[in-house]
Amino acid sequence: MTVPLLSVEKLEVVYHRAITAVQGISLSVKPGQIVAVLGNNGAGKTTTLRAVSGFLGLDDARVTEGNIVFKGMRIENRRPDKITHLGLVLVPERDKVFPNLTVAENLAAPVAHRAGRAERRRREALVYEFFPQLAALKGRIAGLLSGGERQMLALGSALVGSPELLLIDELSLGLAPVAVESLMRRLVEIRDGLGLSILLVEQNASIALEIADYGYVLENGRLVLDGDPKRLLQHQDIREFYLGQTTSGERKSYRAVKQYRRSRRWYG
Amino acid sequence: MQLGVNIIVLAAIYALIACGYVLIYRVSRVLNLAHGELMMLGSYLLLATASTFTGHPLVAIAVALVLSLCVGALVYLFLMRKMAGEMVLAAVLTTIALGILLRGVMVIVWSAQQQYPGQALGVVNPAIALPGGARISTMAALLVLATAVIYGALFAFLRFSRWGVRMRAAGQNPLLAAQRGINLHAIYALAWGLSTLTGSIAGMLISLDSGLTGTMVLIGLKAFPAALVGGLDSLVGALFGALIVAAAEISLIHYVDPLLSDVVPFLVLIVMLIIRPWGLFGTREELDRV
Amino acid sequence: MSRRMPWASGYFRTGYAQDFKLIETRLERVSAGLFAVALSVFPFVASPFQLDLACQVFLAAIGSLSLMLLTGYAGQISLGHAGLLAAGAFTAGILFKEFGAPFWVTLPAAAAVGALLGIVFGLPSLRLRGLYLAVSTLALHFVVVYLGGEYETKRGYSTGIVIDPPSIGGYAVINPRIWYFVLLAAAAATLFICLNLIRSRTGRAWRAIRSHETVAEALGIGIASYKLLAFVVSSAITAVAGALFAYYRGFVSVEAFSLFLTIQYVAMVIIGGMGSLLGALLGAMFVTLFPYWIEAALAALPGAARYASVLFAVNYAAFGLVMILFLVFEPLGLVGIWHRIQTFFLLWPFKHRQVTGTNR
Repeated sequence: MTVPLLSVEKLEVVYHRAITAVQGISLSVKPGQIVAVLGNNGAGKTTTLRAVSGFLGLDDARVTEGNIVFKGMRIENRRPDKITHLGLVLVPERDKVFPNLTVAENLAAPVAHRAGRAERRRREALVYEFFPQLAALKGRIAGLLSGGERQMLALGSALVGSPELLLIDELSLGLAPVAVESLMRRLVEIRDGLGLSILLVEQNASIALEIADYGYVLENGRLVLDGDPKRLLQHQDIREFYLGQTTSGERKSYRAVKQYRRSRRWYG
Repeated sequence: MQLGVNIIVLAAIYALIACGYVLIYRVSRVLNLAHGELMMLGSYLLLATASTFTGHPLVAIAVALVLSLCVGALVYLFLMRKMAGEMVLAAVLTTIALGILLRGVMVIVWSAQQQYPGQALGVVNPAIALPGGARISTMAALLVLATAVIYGALFAFLRFSRWGVRMRAAGQNPLLAAQRGINLHAIYALAWGLSTLTGSIAGMLISLDSGLTGTMVLIGLKAFPAALVGGLDSLVGALFGALIVAAAEISLIHYVDPLLSDVVPFLVLIVMLIIRPWGLFGTREELDRV
Repeated sequence: MSRRMPWASGYFRTGYAQDFKLIETRLERVSAGLFAVALSVFPFVASPFQLDLACQVFLAAIGSLSLMLLTGYAGQISLGHAGLLAAGAFTAGILFKEFGAPFWVTLPAAAAVGALLGIVFGLPSLRLRGLYLAVSTLALHFVVVYLGGEYETKRGYSTGIVIDPPSIGGYAVINPRIWYFVLLAAAAATLFICLNLIRSRTGRAWRAIRSHETVAEALGIGIASYKLLAFVVSSAITAVAGALFAYYRGFVSVEAFSLFLTIQYVAMVIIGGMGSLLGALLGAMFVTLFPYWIEAALAALPGAARYASVLFAVNYAAFGLVMILFLVFEPLGLVGIWHRIQTFFLLWPFKHRQVTGTNR
């Protein structure tokens, strides 16, 4: 069994010293894996990501229990730029590029820890290799990019930091299904090309599970399911409330799903 | 003609001071109301180095410049860093309090009397006759030149250097900047250092031209409207704002009433706040940000 | 209700009438009574110097209470406070010099001028927030002070305007003890007005605006009118304080109304504790007495004569330092310290962290 790159154990995060957002969440990412974390709004996905990437302090939140270990180091409640230097880079959900800088400047801004001039140039070239569309837009102000281009730029500037683990928050948000699919394929290419690991947080369950090696499902701040993506896709609960299908293949009414979910919560 | 020269000189003074306000505001959304005092401190540092390195005016100036850069960075590291995450108002009030503290300390150390760093340095300041019958003192001419050079350098720095780009990035979205591995504290300290440096250069040249008194703080404060008129987050704006404020001030003093001198910049400021509060070149969203 | 629950156990309000009482428990009644007695005995035991200090504190208290209404409750930042004080003082001075008006004309006139200026100062607040608002009031401060200076020079009172003491029924108020009671009454009246304002509909609207403007608007609060009202009320009170200051000193001059005065008032609000009338009073006391403490401390140091020439500079530096210390280490101000002490004794011998920020 390989040593995990990132392992989160029994994580508990409390906001404003009063509100518990997530509790008892454990997950791990092994080198070279793509791991998907699924869940609805408020399930605790973003909180988990923020805890891992060191962004809790800004929202007056703290990791109160459990630990986060990355490459054998405990990183909970560390400063975000230090975490980035360790090789753990987040692509946030919103505001993922600097809108008033050009594409080239967006790629120039990130700090590549302990990288020389040549290494840095190589990495920037690599970004244009993975996302050839960006090369044509070098001089464009990032605020004028389309949603898909913006996502590419965000992924690209995360890659400049030479991550070993990429955390991606809602890659599919606000993008056309075609664009999402091509981005997902690109992610697999990047993983294969650079040998890094990816932790993917998604609402769009089917598309995330398609490329993932392992999946977790969060609900109400707790882990409710985990396993092989193919098995998860077959799981009746996933089919019912993420894909909106019943076992017989027909769609359920909203009311029925809601009813179901309410009863489901008791077992979670 | 003389009027025009006066306007240019005053505009250069205001522009050089205003870029300090803009630098800090743009990067960290803090309005530094201690800028006038920091600028005066820079001039006093020159006075101190001038008496230490007698006979080597260039060494004295260089040392004073380095010191003022450090002072700015230290102000951030030891004081303003503590105000991160507090209300904007709290940060502004902290700078005001810092200004008061500095003013008191400067009087204790250097007394409130008028001083002449020019004499201490052994620098002469002859007037230069310009075509058209106007005259300009050497230091004033140097000041205009310094303003042009410093603005050029700042533009180049912010556009082409990696740290400049990071500075702009941090100003737009500090969260994302930190995620990209940028050390925000270093960026802010740099902004404070540069701001104090440019302010100090202005202060030093003014004090070489006309001596060093407590009125320098007021000059620093009067340059603030220039920054705001141009748009608090825009360097180009600061240039134009300085020109507008200086033109208004010189012509009103000349044609209407010399007593107006201290109030004109603020009148211009009020007019601007009424018609276009985000300034000539500023971004409009700035208004909702604070 | 805006008030904190008086004690953690023992006293609870049981009817609506109790909600409206200012003094609720017997302990409060007794201590308020003792305080009133102390205040009225003070002028007969104090030295003239102490009496003067007390008068200054009362004057400062009026000003800081009005600024607290504006900044601490309505959340509108003003750096033009000295300008408003100057407006009040100059209204009194000019009316007296030009028309020989008695104080019962000049004080209401000062209030009216203050209210008018309040609208002028407040208009930018309809469009601007935070920093920009602070800057616009700062600019207005310079304009008002310029106008005052202009009057002084044009009329040839370049050193300032001398005002006769106000006379009531032919009897001039010059006795410091009488001044003490006049100013005490004025401060008490201001406190009473503020207390009643903040626990009324107006006060609730102000606090809603301070917490979140958009939400307040969505709740149906007329943002514009309440903001303007805050400026008008605060400015009128401030102008009256300015006029009283002019009468008390018997002298008006622009030099007295520098930017530093504004900063002192802002410091009173900060050091006292944002959003608390008690804080405004404590802050006024602290900031007014602070220079005298520094002076006393310097006098106690060896080689006191050496510091005499730089006394004002030492004052400046110490004041700046204290302000920084409060801003960085005790943003809740003196009131925060007071509440902590209260909680400590309340919970003693148990240690328990107070849950802050919800009930004030």
